[in-house]
Amino acid sequence: MQLNNLLVYLLLAVLFAPLLVALAVRWCSPKAARAVAVYGSVLHLLITASLVVLNTGYIGFDKHSNHSFEPQCVPGDTGVAGIEGTNTNRTSWNLLTLAPPNAAFDFRSAPPAIQFFIGLDGLSIVMVALTSLMFFFAVLVSWSSITDRAGSYYAWLFVLQTAVIGAFVSFDIVLFYLFFELTLVPVFFLIGFWGVGGARRDAARKFFLYTLFGSLFTLVGIIGVVLANPMPLNPDSGKPMYNAPTQEATNPMNPLGPHRMPKPGPITFSIPQLIKNAYMWDTAHDESLKSANERVNVAGKNVVAERQKELDDVRTAVATRRTMIAWLFFALMAGLAVKIPIVPFHTWLPSAYSEAPLPVTMLLTAVLAKLGTYGILRIVIPIVPEAAVVYGLPVMGTLGAIGIVYAAFCAYAQRDLKLLAAYSSVSHLGFLVIGLFAMNREALSGSVLHMVNHGLSAGAMFALLVFLSQRYRTLDATQYGGLWGKYPRYTFFTIVICLAGVGMPGLNNFVSEMLMLAGLFDTRNLKLVGYSLAVVSAVGILLSSWYIFTMLRRVFFGPLQEPARVEAVTVPPGDIGGRELVPIAFMAALCLALGLYPQPILDVIQTDVSRVSQLANLARLRLDPKAENPADAVEDERQSKVTPTDAPAPRLPGFGAGPRGPVAPAR
Amino acid sequence: MNPLADTNLTDALTGSISLVVPEMAMLALACLLFVFGMFVRNQKANTLLALVGLIGTAVIAGLMYDSERDAFAVMVQNGAERLAPIWPGPLASFVRWLAIAVGILLVLTSTKEATTGIASEYYACLVVIVAGVSLVARANDLVSLYLALEMISIPTYVLLYLPAQGKAGQEAAAKYFLLSVLSSAVMLLGFSYLYGLAGTTNLSAMNAALTAANAVAVSPLAALGIVLAVAGLCFRITAVPFHYYAPDVYQGAPTGVVAQLAVMPKIAGFIALVRILGMTHAPMTELPFPTATQVPLMLWVIAAATMTLGNAMALLQDNLKRIIAYSGIAHAGYMLLGLLTVTAYAPMELKLTAASVNGLDAILFYLVAYAIMTIGMIAVIAYMSSEDRPIETVDDLAGAGQTNRFAAVLLTVSLLSMIGFPFVAGFWGKFLLFFGLYDAPTISGMGTMYRVLAVVAAVNAAIGAVYYLRIIGVIYLRSPLRENAPAKGLGPLSAAILCTIATLVIGFFPQALTDLSKAVSATPGKVAKSVVPQR
Repeated sequence: MQLNNLLVYLLLAVLFAPLLVALAVRWCSPKAARAVAVYGSVLHLLITASLVVLNTGYIGFDKHSNHSFEPQCVPGDTGVAGIEGTNTNRTSWNLLTLAPPNAAFDFRSAPPAIQFFIGLDGLSIVMVALTSLMFFFAVLVSWSSITDRAGSYYAWLFVLQTAVIGAFVSFDIVLFYLFFELTLVPVFFLIGFWGVGGARRDAARKFFLYTLFGSLFTLVGIIGVVLANPMPLNPDSGKPMYNAPTQEATNPMNPLGPHRMPKPGPITFSIPQLIKNAYMWDTAHDESLKSANERVNVAGKNVVAERQKELDDVRTAVATRRTMIAWLFFALMAGLAVKIPIVPFHTWLPSAYSEAPLPVTMLLTAVLAKLGTYGILRIVIPIVPEAAVVYGLPVMGTLGAIGIVYAAFCAYAQRDLKLLAAYSSVSHLGFLVIGLFAMNREALSGSVLHMVNHGLSAGAMFALLVFLSQRYRTLDATQYGGLWGKYPRYTFFTIVICLAGVGMPGLNNFVSEMLMLAGLFDTRNLKLVGYSLAVVSAVGILLSSWYIFTMLRRVFFGPLQEPARVEAVTVPPGDIGGRELVPIAFMAALCLALGLYPQPILDVIQTDVSRVSQLANLARLRLDPKAENPADAVEDERQSKVTPTDAPAPRLPGFGAGPRGPVAPAR
Repeated sequence: MNPLADTNLTDALTGSISLVVPEMAMLALACLLFVFGMFVRNQKANTLLALVGLIGTAVIAGLMYDSERDAFAVMVQNGAERLAPIWPGPLASFVRWLAIAVGILLVLTSTKEATTGIASEYYACLVVIVAGVSLVARANDLVSLYLALEMISIPTYVLLYLPAQGKAGQEAAAKYFLLSVLSSAVMLLGFSYLYGLAGTTNLSAMNAALTAANAVAVSPLAALGIVLAVAGLCFRITAVPFHYYAPDVYQGAPTGVVAQLAVMPKIAGFIALVRILGMTHAPMTELPFPTATQVPLMLWVIAAATMTLGNAMALLQDNLKRIIAYSGIAHAGYMLLGLLTVTAYAPMELKLTAASVNGLDAILFYLVAYAIMTIGMIAVIAYMSSEDRPIETVDDLAGAGQTNRFAAVLLTVSLLSMIGFPFVAGFWGKFLLFFGLYDAPTISGMGTMYRVLAVVAAVNAAIGAVYYLRIIGVIYLRSPLRENAPAKGLGPLSAAILCTIATLVIGFFPQALTDLSKAVSATPGKVAKSVVPQR
């Protein structure tokens, strides 16, 4: 069997196996259910691991950049079966074709269809691995804490896993939305049924409605970007136009005439295609502006008024598009901002996090919050890069900075350890948002790495709380003190995870936070919002150590003080060990490993991160051609004029070696 | 020329009979039920007769399909459109199948309420309504359209009165009767203006005459006529401000009749609106009314008000039937978006063609999705309620997820579809409506108002989720208030199962229904046009 076919089956298995496990586990007795759930999640972890290992050989293999993502192992690929190199990185599995009846256009290459388009690239594979890992831990952590209707609990957990993985591997923008929304139902039931507080029903409802409210705006935004970025067609031949826009836009009859825009062709829902289309349209608008300016400059006296009017028209068109893109940016961000959450949209979070059972809270912060940041990386920045440059840091970055400080103070004020962890998570996510919108290679790599690191360390934080809540049924920090003496091993792991959370060098968060900070000191970003965001982010790290160490002092140091033990506990009385230890130790070990050697992840994501940053760099150049640009951005600009799409591509090694793509001669 | 000597005209009139054979079969079935019921009061026998009869009409419709299609081709060839009172286009066939399917589901839903004494009359009225809905889509004449619409109204009065228990039921019947008659009168007044202006009752001829007149100058009288006719039809689709009767009538009506009231008049009303506004048979660039702003603006305001008011009022309700009424109002608002989309392509001078969703296909898709999710929801309620434990308020459903798991799952699927949740039919319905509206060209008179309305609709969909989710929350997250009473009723249960399966199938495989509604909504005139999108 060809490797690619095998990978396709593995990918489908990774996506749908949890559903099968959910069906199986649903009908088990509670005791059997948890065992089946553990085996199921181990199996899933194994499939994911084999997929990751086999796929890493593929990640480097990469035809050309072409200003878009190139998903591998796409089910339904129309490439010649079993022959390497014929993969088209597209799918033929349509969910809903919107082609008008008796269409005249040949839609074979790009049907205007919502497709079941899943695949893997460097970004999604990292997130899938994180998801598989965190669900495994969540199942382990649930072992003794969930006893009521355990079968249904695990079934919903696995449904949630399918939905999350589906969102991470989707390369169709509507399919992404479908999976993104699908996460709501399992979480609704998980919080509503198995929640720990009295207000769990309200918390579940609030979570569902807030997220749905935001994501309906995202749906409008998705419809908007799809319609705003149809396939550009050559005005003469009517063929798709993805080549150098300057050449094709010249009228062969009138080479000196005005720049001509491409004709809008069929719409597309595929994310890679949308990114290319958006790039072509943005560039075409930019080129037409340049050409109109040029024509005014060279105009003779008799035509200058006419040319000036032409320039005004072009300016209006460009301004119209940029206004629309700005609206679409905010519409797209609405749902993602609620999901992450960015601070003014976080009001669902305290209730949901505190009412949800701890394993679910762990997943909410470790995996579900990443759906929002992943959406920014996968959809918002590549498809509407110009708006992301203009509004990303100034608006979203500022909100993120407010979030860092606000959530840090909230965390300090909490007596409930669970809410403290929740607010600390919000604080770190604000940092992540700033890092994403810094939009250069360092910051983007740091952000993707931080998605993983935050998932591990924040998830581990909640997993640690399970230990206390199972023995004492309370997480009120004021009732605890001096636990070190009684639970030395537990204290050790807590301190390790806390140090990881505050960014201790040698542990994982340090690496990603440093990368993001470094990215923030990009001179182009400084021009926008000064040092303030970087300073606030650095202060955020300081604040986080302040509240974390205050908490540690209160709970683990001093004379022993513990709340009354609950009698009917099912866990052994001693220190952490056995089954409880496994997930904690595993996560702590990963925190250390990624802190010491994060390079494997950086290697996997480098291609796609450079693609995103290249798109952002080009958008910056379009918006402000005279800006002082660092070397890599200039390099991007030099390579931006791609030659025809079907040219074979050289394989370029190394990180920071620029985008992979055939290098066209400089202008 | 002497009209009696015009062979085309006489052919058109006599030929019409063969185009409504299934409808005549339905009326025969209704008569049979009325008579049969006098001798056999057995409820089961009557149910069986109604079901078999409806299936029989479906078979007849299937047998007649080819001959109707041939007759239609001949009629198109002869240009008989401006003479024929019955026009058996693809849309008419679509609505006929839909009406029969909905009729079967409604009979199943009503089996618990059509008790021994009233079963035959109950089913006979339902069958007449099915025939009426089917005829609305075939009517090509103001008179036949009006008759078809009354074939829906009059049996509904009977249905509301038949099991009238208590004051609420009688109030509902009286209220519906009076307001329905009033709305018919308003609609007739509008029809009379249209007839007076066009000099013909034939809808196609009237549309052509009005279109030609409209191209020269905007006629205030034509606008008045259209507005009055639309007002009368808005009553049927429960559009604001003609929605006031709905909550009271639904609350007093028996559950099965609520299902009928929520679905059938909406199908008929939207199809009639589409016909009166001339959106089906002519190319869409030739609509018989001022398309620059007036009529689109009217539809914009009605749509925005309808969905906003429906959703906002539904938030305040505790009674399930009132929630269904207000949610039905909101869904009518969503469907009005489709009409608005059609008008965006109307301005003649722009020669625009819809690239992917023309609005009408979205309405048809949504009508199907709405019918199955509404009947699915009501059928589950009918299934779970019993004489001593009626399900009337939201609280009555508390804990149904534990006491009646299977029915709760069915109800949840319908509710998720109403929210517009992924992988159920409602999502694709909303998606197509929103997509079409957002895609509507901005260079016509309304500018970006279409996109603004798409955002308004999205906000509304989010508001709507609140009360549907409240029901889901009550079902699953609350403990039962009373002890478990076994739910009974094979009819409602099978209706609910059928609707749920259909909702899920359309949710996962929306292609077939989309293709069908696209094919049906595309008229010959439009298909011939260029399909390369223009913006």
